[in-house]
Amino acid sequence: MPGFSTISLALSSLIEHPLRSFLTSLGVMLGVAAVYFMLAIGEGSKREILEQLNKIETRSMFVFPDRSRRGRSSNQRERAPFSEDNIIQIRNISGVYSATGSLTKTVTAVNEYSDWSTSLNGIDLDYLKGNELDIVMGEPITAADMERRETVVVIGQTVLGTLFRGDDPIGQRIKIDNIPFTVKGVISALTSTSFRGDDVDNIILIPRTTARNRIFGGNDLVRDYVNGINVVGTSLEVIPRIEREIDEILRQSRNLSPNDAPDYRIFSRSADRQQSARSQQILSIFLAVAGSVVLLVGGVGLMNIMLVSVTERTREIGLRIALGARQFDILFQFLIEAVVISFLSGLMGLGLAHIIAHFATPFLPDDMNILFSPDVALLAVSTSLVVGVVFGFLPARRAAQLNPIEALRHE
Amino acid sequence: MSETAMIRCENLTKIYNPGPNEIRALDNVSFGIEDGEFIAIVGASGSGKSTLMNMLGGLDQPTTGTVRIAGASLSEMSGKELAQFRNATIGFVFQQFQLLAKKSALQNTQLPLIYRRPREPNMDARARESLTRVGLGDRVGHKPTQLSGGQQQRVAIARALVGNPKLLLADEPTGALDSVTSEDVMSLLKDLNRQGLTVIIITHDHEVAAVADRVVTFKDGQILSDVDARASTAQRESV
Repeated sequence: MPGFSTISLALSSLIEHPLRSFLTSLGVMLGVAAVYFMLAIGEGSKREILEQLNKIETRSMFVFPDRSRRGRSSNQRERAPFSEDNIIQIRNISGVYSATGSLTKTVTAVNEYSDWSTSLNGIDLDYLKGNELDIVMGEPITAADMERRETVVVIGQTVLGTLFRGDDPIGQRIKIDNIPFTVKGVISALTSTSFRGDDVDNIILIPRTTARNRIFGGNDLVRDYVNGINVVGTSLEVIPRIEREIDEILRQSRNLSPNDAPDYRIFSRSADRQQSARSQQILSIFLAVAGSVVLLVGGVGLMNIMLVSVTERTREIGLRIALGARQFDILFQFLIEAVVISFLSGLMGLGLAHIIAHFATPFLPDDMNILFSPDVALLAVSTSLVVGVVFGFLPARRAAQLNPIEALRHE
Repeated sequence: MSETAMIRCENLTKIYNPGPNEIRALDNVSFGIEDGEFIAIVGASGSGKSTLMNMLGGLDQPTTGTVRIAGASLSEMSGKELAQFRNATIGFVFQQFQLLAKKSALQNTQLPLIYRRPREPNMDARARESLTRVGLGDRVGHKPTQLSGGQQQRVAIARALVGNPKLLLADEPTGALDSVTSEDVMSLLKDLNRQGLTVIIITHDHEVAAVADRVVTFKDGQILSDVDARASTAQRESV
């Protein structure tokens, strides 16, 4: 029998039994909807994670002294944090987008409204650009500010919120460790994800020269030295390697052998990244398993109904064989019928998934994105075709192997 | 029994349940049927007549012996060839009509043509023609439930005729009909036979069998008698 007439035969058989066809399609429809939905969620979170990973925060590393492990040396200079040389060496590692040093300290910022504990960063001119920070209000710290060790400050979003509560902060004064500073600018919000659990927007930036001179007391200890290095990689893949190379550079400059515990720490998000990749993997596996189970149940339902249909239509099958249908014709007829039901169920499943997504989206957690794409739809519909062939085969074969004499006598 | 007979059965034996409790449905049966005959095969149930019909129709194979129809040996055919044989050479008529309830008379009549190789291009026209031939040209769109028993059997006969078979095999064609419609159907079969079609009917009803030209009686898997009904009728009339 040519394919087209078989398909129209299958369709007319479906139309002749509308309720049964609908009930049969229900299982596969839900299965495909589940698979499609889950693939879309998987696709969405994959996209979400990719976007996260490409953000500068995830490409950033931060090198800072580990106070719990002072160096062995009693020499003050050696035990001091990081030198300009260290920064230059790190900057020269291939794959490093920027490496900027800063003098960091936790300070209390005070104005007439409030006092607030925040992280002070004494920065160089290349800090904003290197860390891709934008000034959203006011102006950045300039070379002249550096030169003159101006007491100007650029504040982060958290500080803006707590100290100014919506007022225009530009030109306002705040006291940092009792030294009056003038607010010069505000930087854009950093990522919502936190750095070591801290609020990354709880930050204030001042010229490094000013920090060295006024906040750190201008002694020899800190001259030319910084106690924090922000390193940004060009891509995520290079971060672990850069981390190793930074470690080598610092060990060398501190005469640490590979077995010595370092007196510094390198913080990167690569561990986070691995963690999220792993969660993503687990989620995908879970979704795949859950979707498969639902599809399997739908497929078994389809097979069951097809077997019922074969039994119900035993006489029809016997008649068709008597009238000249070959085994293959019967097999093909029932297989196509199963595939047509399954395919139509699959299409309905896609629609159902879109409807569910429409109503469910407001209730989903923010980091769960549903991303429907033609690829995903195609994949989901293909699974419905596969289900039709796999679960339709046994009933179809049973139909094809019926003995026509007995089949014709079947009541 | 001439060598050119349309159907030649030789030493046909069919054994169900081989072993100590075997059932010999057919026991070494040989006979022939000529082109254009109208034969009734009669016998009680279990006499072997239905087994014989299934073999003539290519639905069953003998345990031993051969069936040759129009020169071809059925036992040598593959499943595919048998399907083709049933489709092109045989027209089946069943006691229970075996119409598809949800299909119209026209669609029911077309059924054999769906399986025709090479493809039949004028399925619709041929089915209409066939329905007209059995007197149902004005009922093509009717579903079986909208037709009387006699009409349903006519649709079934139209379906048997649509493929232009050499042989019409009718298994108790009047078994589900009252006596008036039975006569109708029998006279239709008789007409078809007059037009040249070879007809074999299986029946246990001797009145129905009386319409045939030749009556072969089966008992316990063997031929009890093989009578030329026209001759015996003529004899009786001459007495």
